[in-house]
Amino acid sequence: MTANAPALKKKRHNRMPMLAQAGPVSIWMILFVTIPMLFIIYISFMSRGTFGGVEYTPTTESYATLMDATYFKVILKSLEVALITTGACLLLGYPFAYYIARKPPEVASKLITLLMIPFWTNSLMRLNAWMLLFQTNGPVNNFLQAIGLTEAPITFIYTPGLVLLGLITNFLPFAVLPMYSSIEKLQKSLLEASADLGATPRTTFLKVTLPLTFPGIFSAIILTFIPALGTYTVTDMLGGGKVLYIGNIIKNQFGAIRNWPLGAALSVLLLVITALLIFLYTRFAKIDDLEVL
Amino acid sequence: MKKALALILALVMALSLVACGDKSGDNGDDAASTELNIFMWGDYISEDLISNFEQANGCTVNLSYMSDNADSITKLTAGAGSEYDLIMTCDAYMESLIAGGYLEKLDHAKLPNAVANINEAYWNGDNKDYCVPYLMNYIYVVYDTERCPIEITCYNDLIDPAMKGQIGTVDGARNLFPIALIALGYDPNSTNETEIAAAYDWLVKFNENVVAYGSTEQNMVNGTISCMLTYDGNASWAMSELGDKNTLTIAPFTKDAVQLGFDLFTIPKDAKHADLAHKFLDYICEPQVMADNLVEFPYSCPNDAAIAVANDNYKNDPAFDFDYKTNVFFQEDVGDALAIYDKYYQMLKVG
Repeated sequence: MTANAPALKKKRHNRMPMLAQAGPVSIWMILFVTIPMLFIIYISFMSRGTFGGVEYTPTTESYATLMDATYFKVILKSLEVALITTGACLLLGYPFAYYIARKPPEVASKLITLLMIPFWTNSLMRLNAWMLLFQTNGPVNNFLQAIGLTEAPITFIYTPGLVLLGLITNFLPFAVLPMYSSIEKLQKSLLEASADLGATPRTTFLKVTLPLTFPGIFSAIILTFIPALGTYTVTDMLGGGKVLYIGNIIKNQFGAIRNWPLGAALSVLLLVITALLIFLYTRFAKIDDLEVL
Repeated sequence: MKKALALILALVMALSLVACGDKSGDNGDDAASTELNIFMWGDYISEDLISNFEQANGCTVNLSYMSDNADSITKLTAGAGSEYDLIMTCDAYMESLIAGGYLEKLDHAKLPNAVANINEAYWNGDNKDYCVPYLMNYIYVVYDTERCPIEITCYNDLIDPAMKGQIGTVDGARNLFPIALIALGYDPNSTNETEIAAAYDWLVKFNENVVAYGSTEQNMVNGTISCMLTYDGNASWAMSELGDKNTLTIAPFTKDAVQLGFDLFTIPKDAKHADLAHKFLDYICEPQVMADNLVEFPYSCPNDAAIAVANDNYKNDPAFDFDYKTNVFFQEDVGDALAIYDKYYQMLKVG
């Protein structure tokens, strides 16, 4: 005790700056992320009140309900849409990110700004604009008819295709940005070395560029896939509330249907699916250096 | 630079924590209230009405908006009296709310206009002691005579395969299931699971014809749908929007009843400004005040005296011109059966 005392004191002294730096963030995260999350898990094991509130009697009823085939179908459907969205965002985003990264910095920053400008407005505004553009007697249909491409107006809104298009545009910047920062870091000398050693551009891309930018690609996947899985505004507005995805179902449990425990259980399920995917990816890809994340 | 940024961020976070706790209102003013807190649907009451009331009573009116009927139930059952003085809800929940003791009893002596002007038929039984009906709405079928493939005279016409891709409809289990139950000849407020299951089968066919839920009036005006199950107020908007080109007509139902719903004001238990809440309730029932409000919000109105002095636009609105106004049903409190409705509603939406 006596021998250790001065050493301890010194250590504590050293810890102060660290506490000052990490303290607020930790409190913030505990208050606004951890506690709400634990509360969601807690609610999911409670029962539904007569008026749709939460009654604090423990039950696993909500999880039993999840076993219903209906929810299985919803989850599959949601996973499918999220996968397609992510895939499309990667395929469209990677060449675009590559293009920007190869431009001089001042041009690149302008291009990035251009990419971000639409996101300065509320996403609901953008969705409403889409609705106006694509509605049955809207500008897109009028144009198509005017140039004689179509005879009668085409129904665009409330179709799965438009929902997908809406999701892809909504999440594209989230895919482009991490990939851009990854590609931008890529040293040109490595590519030159590859070429000097006789690799074709194709081989260089597949063996050098792609593996080295994989952290960016992985971040892009996480940043698009997870929100796409849980989204409900896009699917609600562009889909006309006809097809429900997991995000819509959760929203309905807390809104119109008023079954908070079931909504909480569904949220936990979504959490588990997401965690599982991230775990699989990190194990499979052995990445510990994630761009942006 | 980085340190400064970190410091600023930390400060912002700390400040926002402090801000969270800093939500004090003016508590405990027992004298005449100077503040009235109302929770209701957004875009549903004239701003002029509110500011006139504020001037007349020297008070501030704070409006908060709900996004779903469930919001007000959540507020009321969680004890909303400390936060709000008036909460809008609908007739379907009244029975449970009264039974649960969540509402303050009204003092009719303070509501002479309400008692005199609101049509007795719209203020049934026990409810009269706990609420004042504000506006009401029919949920009926409107179709475009030029574009709709068939003539609609009953709910069963809506599941005709010819109607595929033609229908827009209001959403919600308790709006959709009653029409199926009526089409099948059952009680629209049935609590019998077999009947609700049969209604579900009917709605599956209906769903095949539906293009979209919600935004019915916009979809009608922009040509996406040719037939809608909608509120009379929304039909009124669509008809006036189409103006001279209006070919919409209210489906000439002969037998099937349509839903009539009320948006009511209630005073939550232990409301802090109940005196001002009574004044407000009586104020909105003054004939001219409500008539002016109807100019902006042309919905069906339970206040006969107000309709009598309403302007001609309102009186001649084609959306209120149908002859089965008394063949209506109300959404009743179905108690625990609500869970059955929700289950089948979920199945319907998941497909």
